[in-house]
Amino acid sequence: MGPRGTRSVGNSLQVRAFRRFARKPWCYGAAKQVVDIMERRGWKPYQISAIRCVMDDFRQAYTGERPCIYTTAFVPTELVYGLGAVPFLPEVAAGYAAAFGFAYDALGAAESMWYSADLCSFHRAGVGAGKLGVLPRPSAVIATAHLCDGGKKSLHRMSKDAGCPFYLLDVPYDRSERGQKRLRDQVEHIAFDLPEKVPGISPEGMAEAIRVSNATLDDYLEVCALRQHSPSPWRGGEALNYVVMFLGAWGNPWLAEFYKDLASHIRGIIASGEYPCCSERHRLLWLNLRPYYKTGLLDYLELELETSVAFEEYNWPYWSELDPDDPFASVARKMLANFGWGPIERRLAAVDSMIDDYSIDGVVQFAQWGCRQSNGGASMLADHLKRRGIPFLNLGGDGVDVRNGSEAQAMTRLGAFVELIDAKKAR
Amino acid sequence: MYVAGVDVGSTAVKAVVLLDGRIAGTNVISTGTDQEKTAFQSLSAAAQDAGVVDIEDISAMVATGYGRSMVKMADRTVTEITCHARGGRAFAEAAHVIVDIGGQDSKVIRLDEDGMVADFVMNDKCAAGTGRFLEVMAERLEVPLSDFGKMWRATRKPAMISSTCTVFAESEVVSLLSHGVAREPIIRGLCDAVADRLAGMVHRVGLATEVVMTGGVSRNDGVRLSLERKLGLKVSVPSMSQFAGAYGAAIIALELAEKGR
Repeated sequence: MGPRGTRSVGNSLQVRAFRRFARKPWCYGAAKQVVDIMERRGWKPYQISAIRCVMDDFRQAYTGERPCIYTTAFVPTELVYGLGAVPFLPEVAAGYAAAFGFAYDALGAAESMWYSADLCSFHRAGVGAGKLGVLPRPSAVIATAHLCDGGKKSLHRMSKDAGCPFYLLDVPYDRSERGQKRLRDQVEHIAFDLPEKVPGISPEGMAEAIRVSNATLDDYLEVCALRQHSPSPWRGGEALNYVVMFLGAWGNPWLAEFYKDLASHIRGIIASGEYPCCSERHRLLWLNLRPYYKTGLLDYLELELETSVAFEEYNWPYWSELDPDDPFASVARKMLANFGWGPIERRLAAVDSMIDDYSIDGVVQFAQWGCRQSNGGASMLADHLKRRGIPFLNLGGDGVDVRNGSEAQAMTRLGAFVELIDAKKAR
Repeated sequence: MYVAGVDVGSTAVKAVVLLDGRIAGTNVISTGTDQEKTAFQSLSAAAQDAGVVDIEDISAMVATGYGRSMVKMADRTVTEITCHARGGRAFAEAAHVIVDIGGQDSKVIRLDEDGMVADFVMNDKCAAGTGRFLEVMAERLEVPLSDFGKMWRATRKPAMISSTCTVFAESEVVSLLSHGVAREPIIRGLCDAVADRLAGMVHRVGLATEVVMTGGVSRNDGVRLSLERKLGLKVSVPSMSQFAGAYGAAIIALELAEKGR
């Protein structure tokens, strides 16, 4: 038996079920009824909206109802929805694989393809899931050069396997007008080149996707403002699960529904005073992602240690309203606004803003195994936070590969970190 | 007033009983498989050592170490990082950096002027730089760990051990032995490999002039000697260094008991 109860690599029950049912349209009809029952049984509206949003995209992608375009997590999905396609993020699929207990199969499949165990497990599991045949068939792949090197290369491999077009957006380091124009031209090239290669793709929906994205941003900014409340009205451990929405659904009208429902939920919590962590000792900012396999780590932190994850780096809205009259430039501008790209000072400034906005007592960076984009800057981040007097913990672990971390060690580190903040406040 | 601290580590359980703030009894036993039972046994033995008639006479107890949550009779659990900081500072008043090397992990803790934890780092997930790494090598070399210091001093030329992965290092040791390399330089090379990792961790939290080693491996003189050379300063080892975590827990228990009065 492998970790999490799988029997052998690539042959777990979950993998076989995905292969058998994910492409059957009736499966989504049945799933819809299950979600309706969940709704009647008291699941919260935002949870139901999120499931419906994901299911809707999955149905269209898996059944071929719309062309499916694979992207990395940092390609604005407004581009994909605007082209009339549905986005699919293999990195997000890796998170699902971990949550549903078949990451072991996907990682094993990737390793059989020569992917080294020191490549980020989100990419390894994504490409491995492709090899297992549990992902929808892509009509095209759009990757970006910014942030993850492993992402674009593993997606390139997936495009070759599928025999579909591969586009790489070469994002410049500088944010000058020249850099933005260069990127805008690349986006425009994709928007006009892809319809010639893939039936059903058209740039006609670009402006509408940008308008939907802007309207959603208004709702999301309200969620962010509500989360500034102390005690924290929404658990960060749960918010990190919903990063999937933040990364993969901009331009989809369902996302606005989700954030409206979420804002309503948070307003209700604040009004009732029934906070998830009533006696909040400290408020933390969480950098990078979290483990998506079954773990008690975040519960231990938020419930036992009574320390809230008040906000997360990966949920930070780093761009401002986009221009529907120039959708290509808008997509380029959004990509260039990503604080994780470019000099470390951009990320430090973003972290500073989050510390101030969310009254943060300490910062935890989940140091994802093999993640160069965040681990590479850990030293300067630590120095910067030290200068500000904000305690910092670089917590090693892995979001997908359970073999790359020790839960007991991680709990000890979090426990000691909370004690350190206790002592700092007591002085 | 009696108070107690119990440190349930991966290899050994240590218990310290204080009478009016002074160490009155100690005990150390192998952790075994039933941590709760072993913790009770260790505490009972330490209590007996301290002259406690009834264990109920202990006013407060704090548990620490990986198995701390298994000690149901404890009034509070505190991480071993905080406990080693408190115990290490109590053993050596000038200590500003505590290097604790236990059976399955190693920690470097930076203390502030008040002796509180200012920063800390722990080893990565593997056994590199831990007591278990040295145990495996000692078994392979058929040398008791207690002889590491003596053998370290017996040579000036350490063998090069490039890996701190236990499995790879073991195969390097086998390879060196097969090439006729004596055990002394191999042992010095192993101690250097552990010290290299520890020195990196010390520099991460900030080197201070007073470095104290605690934990089971602190009794291994070879690692201490290698660490001194890497850091370029003297590393002190309190005589009861193995009890630093339990002692720190007992000090916190004393504060709890005094607050409760």
